[in-house]
Amino acid sequence: MKDNNNSPLGQFDNSVRGDELPPFLKTWKNVYILVAGTLLLLIVLFYAFTLLFA
Amino acid sequence: MTNLDWTLLTSTLLFIIVYGVYKNHKDQNIDGYLLGNQSLPWYHVGLSVMATQASAITFLSTTGQGFDDGMRFVQFYFGLPLAMIVLCVTFIPIFHRLKVYTAYEYLEKRFDGKVRVFTAFLFLIQRGLSTGISIYAPSIILSTIFGWDIFWTNILMGGMVLTYTVVGGTKAISYTHLQQMIVITVAMVLAGVIVVMMLPENIGLVKALKIAGKANHTKVISFDFNPKDRYNLWSGLIGGFFLQLSYFGTDQSQVGRYLTGESITQSRLGLVMNGLLKIPMQFLILLVGVLVFVFYQFNSSPVFFNKVETDKLRTSQYAPEFVAIEKQYNEVSEKRKQLLISSDNLDNQQLEVYKSNLFASDSVAKSLKGQVIELIKKNNPSASTNDRDFVFLRFVLDHLPHGLIGLLIAVIFAASMGSIASAYNSLAATSVVDVYRKFSKNTPSERAELNASKVSTVIWGLFCIFVAQYANQLGNMIEVVNVLGSLFYGIILGVFLVAFYFKNIGGTATFWAAVISQAIILGIGIPQVILKAEWIAYLWFNPIGCFLVIGIAWILQRFRFRIGDSK
Repeated sequence: MKDNNNSPLGQFDNSVRGDELPPFLKTWKNVYILVAGTLLLLIVLFYAFTLLFA
Repeated sequence: MTNLDWTLLTSTLLFIIVYGVYKNHKDQNIDGYLLGNQSLPWYHVGLSVMATQASAITFLSTTGQGFDDGMRFVQFYFGLPLAMIVLCVTFIPIFHRLKVYTAYEYLEKRFDGKVRVFTAFLFLIQRGLSTGISIYAPSIILSTIFGWDIFWTNILMGGMVLTYTVVGGTKAISYTHLQQMIVITVAMVLAGVIVVMMLPENIGLVKALKIAGKANHTKVISFDFNPKDRYNLWSGLIGGFFLQLSYFGTDQSQVGRYLTGESITQSRLGLVMNGLLKIPMQFLILLVGVLVFVFYQFNSSPVFFNKVETDKLRTSQYAPEFVAIEKQYNEVSEKRKQLLISSDNLDNQQLEVYKSNLFASDSVAKSLKGQVIELIKKNNPSASTNDRDFVFLRFVLDHLPHGLIGLLIAVIFAASMGSIASAYNSLAATSVVDVYRKFSKNTPSERAELNASKVSTVIWGLFCIFVAQYANQLGNMIEVVNVLGSLFYGIILGVFLVAFYFKNIGGTATFWAAVISQAIILGIGIPQVILKAEWIAYLWFNPIGCFLVIGIAWILQRFRFRIGDSK
């Protein structure tokens, strides 16, 4: 989304604190990969659970 | 309940409430009351977001769902982590940088007043109705324990939370959420461990799950794509994604939680925490329900779990019939127990015989339960015939050791009070910021806004209590709340997605698209609710509503409102 008068970014208050990098994983992209990867892992584990106890 | 239970229950609740109110007693301005002065760290944000979603309904209905339908309900939450990522990337930076009090404020900055007010109106209706159900949930506990009339119990519960919410503000809610989540986690893990310990000597967790598996209760994942099937991988990932994105991104009861974060980073980390922990938490709660199911395979189970209704039957003209049915049910339960005990090491042929015997005893048990429901209806036409939400409560009261009973009842109370308080606060915030402030001729003073917030909280509290009086007619509570949300959330999300990603579409096109789409969704959804039919599983209302808004707004913008609608 580009910064122009019609977009919400055009009215941003850039003095707001804290669009910083996350701790531990260095970038937000890595954090999001962790979240999506955990979901994938859980689905695989749940599928194994389904097969194991069915 | 013994003195130990009562002491644990009252001291836990009193501590949570007094501590929460004490923490906020200095913040008597509108910023502190509605946003907590945006000062909270990520773990407060994360736990507050989780506690707002986890109401008493979560513990009563989800365990009942696990007992009745097995583990597959967890798929409902598969879209949540993906929704958290989208929120972190798009919603949080926009809301923080615009310094809004409510999500709907942003819509006026992007579109115009009518889109803001219409969307806020949809939220108020949906959240007001859902909160009524959230009041009803803990009221069942009181009415079951004390035999109180549910009408007065709703008034007591809704009124008690109302008092606490008016005095405290959003920061008080966040502080109480922290303690509630600690108590909830400890108590649910303890409950799960104790259920396993109460199973027969040779039955451990693995064997218990194998028994549950034989009754089809351990099927977590279903890859079958069927629009009529409520819970499968696809409805969870796609429908659940849109529902969760809408709930967390546009429902003020959640937006208000993460706006209390002291920075964009702290708010984002709070949502990431929710994305990582929510599914395991729901899995654990469902697992407790499944373990309770296994417990009742080896112990006599009530034919109907709502003790208030069965006690009424025992003193009615239908008592002899009820006692006879109950006796037959106990005999069937005993046969089933013997079947389960003898089910080890069967070859394929024996397994088929075993399954058909189990199926036959299940059918008889269901038929007997149906007969009891008929008697309940005859005895009390206004009685709720759904007992799934009573399963866990009945198990706790009948079988768990004293002390833990008090703690688990405290969990259910604390959870419901936290989520009801969040809802009251968000309803008041939206009413004041998006309605009172917008339609005031002169800019109201800070004191006037603070007073209006408190008055608005009281009015919404009364409305929610009114709704709670009719909630027992609606069926399984967690599903009712989600069906209600699905009727409105897709439309609200569609409006926000148009705002974020379709900058050439203006306010008028978006407004009419939202009105038309809402009419279509209600046109499909309300007959399904009334007729108790399901042509489309409710989770699909979320993506359908969302895409309807985007599609209709795009068409209207292109062919109707192109000229003279510059926004």
